[in-house]
Amino acid sequence: MRVLKWSLIVLVAILAIALAAGCYFMGSPRDLCGFLRFALPQWHRGDLHVGDSAPDAPLLTLDGQSTFRIRDRIGARPLVLIFGSYT
Amino acid sequence: MYNDYKDRADFLAVYIREAHPTDEWEMKKNLDENVCYAQPKTLAQRVAIANDFTQRFHFPLPLGIDAMSDLADHLYAGWPERLYVIDETGKIVYRGGLGPFNYHPNEVRAWLAHRFPAAQAKASASAPPLLASDPTTRH
Repeated sequence: MRVLKWSLIVLVAILAIALAAGCYFMGSPRDLCGFLRFALPQWHRGDLHVGDSAPDAPLLTLDGQSTFRIRDRIGARPLVLIFGSYT
Repeated sequence: MYNDYKDRADFLAVYIREAHPTDEWEMKKNLDENVCYAQPKTLAQRVAIANDFTQRFHFPLPLGIDAMSDLADHLYAGWPERLYVIDETGKIVYRGGLGPFNYHPNEVRAWLAHRFPAAQAKASASAPPLLASDPTTRH
């Protein structure tokens, strides 16, 4: 019984420390929840590797009036692709 | 990096679904920097946010906007941010990690420096390796 009690205490302490470290690292408890909900499932997303052929996809121009394809930009020079958003 | 290598390589920014919209995972940093947008539900909303971004930061790189199907994001696993280098034959020669923790523009710079040593020497002599205002270093 005594072993069980101390095991529970140690487990709770470890969880509390992990939670505190996560909140500190992410900025706040809300951000930690957001990370666990939105980012963690994406962690190993994607199966592209070096040496694979670059997939193609249509993109809209900034004026919203026309489209072009990623592979349209591949040709004479290396292409640096930067994926991101505003927020 | 863009200024150092734009004469040797092409750059294309791909605007994808928002990482920290107000209706999903909004971060305190977004409030501090007044970057508060809901996840776009229409292409027009997505175009508008992309334009807000380019205008606020005077973003000089060519930019394309992902379709509402998020096809480019799905194919490249771009969310929330990721870097690639594609060579002239269409092969992936660099695949960066998932941002922001594994988003390392320095690795792209190193690839470019290895590929274009003359440009690297010129860049080193004229500017710091990475500038805070360099859009390709923005997280």
